Amino acid sequence: MLELRINGFGGQGSVTLAHLLAQAALENGEQGQALPFFGVERRGAPVRAAVRMSPATIYAHSQCELPDYVIVMSEKLTEAAVSEGINKNGTVIINAPYPLKVEKYPTWQVDADGIAGEKGLFSADGLFINVPLFGAACRVLNIPGKVMEQTILNKWPGNGGSNLDAAREAFKAVRLIGT
Amino acid sequence: MRTAQVIMETGAHAAALAVKCARVDVIPGYPITPQTSIMEALSAMVEKGELDARFIPVEGEHSALAAAVAASAAGARVFTATSSNGLLYMHEVLHMASGGRLPVVMCNVNRGIFAPWTLWADHQDSFAQRDTGWIQFHCSSNQEVFNTVLQAFRVAEQINIPVMVNFDGFVISHCFMPLNVPAQEDIDRFLPLHEPEWRLDPAHPSSFSNVTNAAEYASFRQMLSQDIMASIPLVKEAAQSYKDITGMWDGDTIDTYRMEDAEVVVLAVNSMAAELRLSVDILREQGIRAGLLRPRLILPFPAQDIIDALPQNAQVMVLDRNYNFGHHGGILASELKSVLFGRRHDITVKNRVMGIGGVDLTRRFMADEIRAMLDE
Repeated sequence: MLELRINGFGGQGSVTLAHLLAQAALENGEQGQALPFFGVERRGAPVRAAVRMSPATIYAHSQCELPDYVIVMSEKLTEAAVSEGINKNGTVIINAPYPLKVEKYPTWQVDADGIAGEKGLFSADGLFINVPLFGAACRVLNIPGKVMEQTILNKWPGNGGSNLDAAREAFKAVRLIGT
Repeated sequence: MRTAQVIMETGAHAAALAVKCARVDVIPGYPITPQTSIMEALSAMVEKGELDARFIPVEGEHSALAAAVAASAAGARVFTATSSNGLLYMHEVLHMASGGRLPVVMCNVNRGIFAPWTLWADHQDSFAQRDTGWIQFHCSSNQEVFNTVLQAFRVAEQINIPVMVNFDGFVISHCFMPLNVPAQEDIDRFLPLHEPEWRLDPAHPSSFSNVTNAAEYASFRQMLSQDIMASIPLVKEAAQSYKDITGMWDGDTIDTYRMEDAEVVVLAVNSMAAELRLSVDILREQGIRAGLLRPRLILPFPAQDIIDALPQNAQVMVLDRNYNFGHHGGILASELKSVLFGRRHDITVKNRVMGIGGVDLTRRFMADEIRAMLDE
């Protein structure tokens, strides 16, 4: 069983990102689970979600305390996200406009804000960065590009256009910063 | 068996889909976190014409269950849902539904009770309704919620007792996971249309729930008590028939895991009992022969099935997500001890309360707790 934790700010779309990843696991022939932590939500406050993927039935229902992957939706949260707990063999995926390395952990970086802006994924008060981050995470998790695309088309039937472009772009652009 | 459709859904939407598949007639509703998304989904289904039912928005939970009681007395198949303080506000009408022998099915999304305010899962709300005469299931997964709502209607209508289907707020209600939805034809075979023996009907006026004399009242109460106990074989039969038709099985009155040679038996309900499978695996790796016994049914309490499932000389670690105020520990432990008294002198019972108000219960934490309880 693979465990992931998403750390983000309220309003960045972490719940949808968690749902997309769980859906991609099912699309990929596995079981998937998205378990966002719901608090008293506020825009801009730190939020988190658990995601699990497994070939077998998933029984876990806790938040992921020592995840195999941590997805950091804003580089400002990097230190806080990693200090919440990560598997000693864990990997970090960070949305940052510049290359960034977390000490001791393999770190992948993608400029999700840049890609979202370039592909026109504007929300009411910012950018939809969850879709490019989904693309980047699929690449890091070895989820095939076709599964990624099908998941987006299932989520937004007939309206995958800029979402597909953004996910594909992030799939290509995400970089391993060093081990 | 026809091929089931696999979709991704939350536990709350799994409940709403089961209600749709049960072809309910009337849904009175009042929203409360974290139950709200059940009511949102059902009202949308009615609005779009996907579900041919009457959705009745009301001004509070007392009225929601009162409307459910009235519609059920008129012969409708009725569903409602609530949580936490909403369930407490229904308390008086819960007795009306069971005493009136009305087969209402209600989901309660378990959440801690005010005060102080909390939004997250514990089991004080449903356990506080233990003595209201409702049959109570507690579910550990989205799929089990779906399956149990359907089984609940079947049992309720067979014995004319309302059934509460409980599952944890957020941890299940907002957990997004694969859900098998059987073909509607298979569900219809499992759950035929509701045909009550009696109903309130303006064309044939009759009165309902008159004042009774002491002997009449006592006889009604005795019948209710006896019939609640008589629901146990119906619960088993419903689980078996559901399995025969859909291929899915969550246990009947109880569900067990790695019990065959268990020396340490963990007993708990709801989502923590799913996570506990992983704790049992951890304990086994550490050389402790652990097993899990999860009551699905907590009212009536499946005494005989629990007694039969416990290996000789087992230590039972009861993990309660509620308080039994006035006693040490929780309510499940108290229920278990009353069942064992005079019947199984070989069993030791230990108890801890945990996870109150949504405190996260991880597999490692619970394995550590159980290991610590061994030394008590």
